[in-house]
Amino acid sequence: MANRTSAAQRPNGSTQGKICQFKLVLLGESAVGKSSLVLRFVKGQFHEYQESTIGAAFLTQTVCLDDTTVKFEIWDTAGQERYHSLAPMYYRGAQAAIVVYDITNQDTFARAKTWVKELQRQASPNIVIALAGNKQDLANKRMVEYEEAQAHAEENGLLFMETSAKTAMNVNDIFLAIAKKLPKNEQTTGPGGSGQGRRLVEGDSGAKAAGNCCK
Amino acid sequence: MLLPTHENVISIVQAKFSCTEIVRTLHLNASITQKGWVDESRILALVEHDSTFALFIIISEKVKPESFSDLTIERAIPIDKHFSCDTDPIPESYTHIIFSIIHKKLKLNFVIEIGFESSNFASEVIRLKEVSSFNVNNFNWLDKYSCGGSQTEIDVQQATMNDQSPDLPIVRQKVAQGHGISANRESFLRYQLSLKEPEYTHLQEFSIFVGTWNVNGQPPTISLKNWLSVDQEPPDVYAIGFQELDLSKEAFLMFDTPREAEWRKAIMDAIHPDTKYRSVAYVRLVGMQLEVLVNNSHYKYIRNVAIDTVGTGILGKMGNKGGVAVRLELHNTSLCFVNAHLAAGVEEVERRNQDYNDINQRANFRRHPYTIKEHDQVYWLGDLNYRITEQSAFQVKKYLASDDLASVLLADQLNQQKDLSKVLQDYTEGDITFQPTYKFDLNSDVYDTSEKARAPAWTDRILWKGKGIHQLAYRSHMDLKISDHKPVSALFKSEICVVDQNKYRKVHEEVLKKMDKLENEFLPQVTVDQSEVIFDTVKFREPQHREIIIANTGQVLAEFEFIKKLDDVSYCKEWLSITPFSGCIKPGEKCDLRLIVNLEQPLESIYDILVLHLIGGKDMFITVSGECQRSCFTTSIATLSRAPVPLLQLTPDQFKHAENQQSSILYSIPRELWLLVDHLYRNGLKTRELFESTALHEEIIRIRDWLDLGSMDPIPGSIHAVAEALLLFLSYTRDPIIPYHLHDTCIAAASNYQNCKQIVMQKMSDLDRNVFLYLCMFLQELLKYSNENGTDPKTLATIFGDILLRDPIRNSRPQANRGKASFIYHFLINDQSSLIMPCK
Repeated sequence: MANRTSAAQRPNGSTQGKICQFKLVLLGESAVGKSSLVLRFVKGQFHEYQESTIGAAFLTQTVCLDDTTVKFEIWDTAGQERYHSLAPMYYRGAQAAIVVYDITNQDTFARAKTWVKELQRQASPNIVIALAGNKQDLANKRMVEYEEAQAHAEENGLLFMETSAKTAMNVNDIFLAIAKKLPKNEQTTGPGGSGQGRRLVEGDSGAKAAGNCCK
Repeated sequence: MLLPTHENVISIVQAKFSCTEIVRTLHLNASITQKGWVDESRILALVEHDSTFALFIIISEKVKPESFSDLTIERAIPIDKHFSCDTDPIPESYTHIIFSIIHKKLKLNFVIEIGFESSNFASEVIRLKEVSSFNVNNFNWLDKYSCGGSQTEIDVQQATMNDQSPDLPIVRQKVAQGHGISANRESFLRYQLSLKEPEYTHLQEFSIFVGTWNVNGQPPTISLKNWLSVDQEPPDVYAIGFQELDLSKEAFLMFDTPREAEWRKAIMDAIHPDTKYRSVAYVRLVGMQLEVLVNNSHYKYIRNVAIDTVGTGILGKMGNKGGVAVRLELHNTSLCFVNAHLAAGVEEVERRNQDYNDINQRANFRRHPYTIKEHDQVYWLGDLNYRITEQSAFQVKKYLASDDLASVLLADQLNQQKDLSKVLQDYTEGDITFQPTYKFDLNSDVYDTSEKARAPAWTDRILWKGKGIHQLAYRSHMDLKISDHKPVSALFKSEICVVDQNKYRKVHEEVLKKMDKLENEFLPQVTVDQSEVIFDTVKFREPQHREIIIANTGQVLAEFEFIKKLDDVSYCKEWLSITPFSGCIKPGEKCDLRLIVNLEQPLESIYDILVLHLIGGKDMFITVSGECQRSCFTTSIATLSRAPVPLLQLTPDQFKHAENQQSSILYSIPRELWLLVDHLYRNGLKTRELFESTALHEEIIRIRDWLDLGSMDPIPGSIHAVAEALLLFLSYTRDPIIPYHLHDTCIAAASNYQNCKQIVMQKMSDLDRNVFLYLCMFLQELLKYSNENGTDPKTLATIFGDILLRDPIRNSRPQANRGKASFIYHFLINDQSSLIMPCK
């Protein structure tokens, strides 16, 4: 009703007040496992033959931290190169990004590096970027050394984990790490949050005015 | 009695029930509301079976149900001895009230509109409660409507502990009807958490000391210890109220009194010494003051503290009478303390009742839209001013002298009014075992010896309302003699709902996960049958179409639209159109989209990625591509003039050569243009309305192919088709015959032939000039036969002005059309043969 407290009603003494909404985008070469990571994170499932994403899939998932609740609006983008030009629609206004590569494929790592560069140049300046070396379960076919990727992540201020959507290794962890790193005050997490985030293109603002993170 | 609009609905609702279950009365549009959570409308129905009655809460998919399948029975509540109902005003609303239905632990609140329907329905409910049979077994017929039945002890809280609870299906259904879950996410979360409260809370007893004293305007010259610190254990909470703190005019008018600080200090000096206390809230209205203190260790568990004051004194609003209240939440239990000072005077019983009602109605704590009675626990204290009537002062004193309180209490107005449900209806008061606290001679224990000799009375009272409250003591404190009243206090052990943080966190997370699952499950989902649309060779102005099928594979209505990409002006390129480009698909249904390509540009191929967006859901990409066939219609005059053979006979190298500006011009006017004009010259000079009638689309396509392929056959199509082909040719050439940059100059010069001529002679390239003059000469030829073909220079100037001076953006609003026509007009009526020069 008329009662709009600044935090969801909570029991006294509780610290879990704020619900913050963030737009998170997954980027990376096709077939590195972006959709599989999301499917594992959101539904706890894994499909050996995950269909190729032609478009941008959308799902939401909430992560509870000690003091806040973070709701991710996840945009899982198409990895095929021909859709590259559409990626800005999704990473614009995003507060977080996971750039995924396949540890058994050096090219996908190179592509991941260019994604990071593009994000640093074109996305919002305070975007939290995580680098995910997926398919860790295939470490015996590894072509990208852990240290190499870690060094790159460190240089560029990225979160980094090797993950496996198949075994679930580090999947929740990487989202959780992002949730922790995201700023929780309202100013820094303006548009893109709270439902309206689905209206992607930043150009058509209007609807955004109401979209503050913490409500 | 039924309202006419109900007649239809009642028969639809009746269809949900068996013939022995008869729907008696309905209430449409009752919005269910729970702790700040407002839901969609329900229908309330009173149903009779074998002279037992039940109230059914029904969800309707439509505002006005059209068939019984639109209705879902959400809950059936037997109208038995556990059943009651209540109405409450909504602060600041004159049109709606809250109608509550209470059955055992279940309480459902509905917002309903005040009117004939609601009063009719409410009175019917009350009437049925009177006549309904209360034999539990008679309600067996409700068992099939499962939850909330009279035998089952299920209440709301237990009912929602598992996934099979009635709430989730309702949410599912609501979402399926297109009510987005995310919009209500917060209130949904709050609601779910409140339902699951028992899972993460336990009850813990807190001692609450409530004290009231009418101090008769006296300063605190004595210690209050004998009132506030008489119990062995220090209470967890103190709520201490005063009345008549200051009787001076200043206090009444200026709202300011030195007494305030004095009495607050007196409290702090007298509270239990074994524990530290902290003030949580403090409120004063004129002489009514209320302070709530808590044991320091509980302070951090206090939330949402708010105060309110209601004056009911002079003019019905001044603060000499009325009430002050503090509300707060201690752990998860909401508490409200009301300190009231009701109208004085032995006879003013009705005024006191009215003051009580006014306080209840007007107190709403501003920030928190809660009324007093909405709190889990309410403690009502104060000088309520109810007196002893029907007994003389002498008689009362006699009873008191013999310790016969009971006889006097029989004549207590408050007890009498309470029994009549006129005041403090739902409140409980402990047994009074102390002497009346009013009216004493100051500084004595002697009842009023003044002339008035008022009968002693229990004016100072403490009552409570709510679950889990146990009174341990209710007493007066005779040692405090400075006022004409004696202070009263009550000590309670009250059950407070305490949150277990770990359990709460778990439940909170569970609810969130459930909401995520629900939300994801109810995202719109569609599939498209192809993400790749390839057109056959795309030719100039020869539309092709492809169908795409979008199927709604999700559980909710899918609203789709094509959205533009960043930096694009439209959701698709100009050569494509999509019908429909937005729409709605019901679950399980499909929608055919038609993509039509119509090429009017000189493109080698078409390529675009369409973004099909589902409102509130994902995006899908559809790639559209195709090879284009070039045509003389969209090729530049210069290129055509350099092409040795028809366009489609050119090898790629030859075409590249023809496009090259450096290559030599082979024809002073393009071959294709000459063919069209020559044909018209030879066959069409006497044709009426040559340029004003339209040809068949196929004819134009045949002429296009004839020109592009270079055929030895005679030109296909009617003379009108050739004329239209000429206009199209001139309209679509890559650049207009008169270059864009000259248009303004031409229009500016249009009034003067010499100036126009100068532009043509000096500013146009030789090739463009030739083509231009060639056309003009042909049109002049045409005009020679105006008697036969009915044309005139003005019409031709208008038609060709528009084309030869066409605007850069097609279909943009033609401007300065008259200037264009005037410019061309000069060249249709003056002889130009002298101007023609051979091309270099």
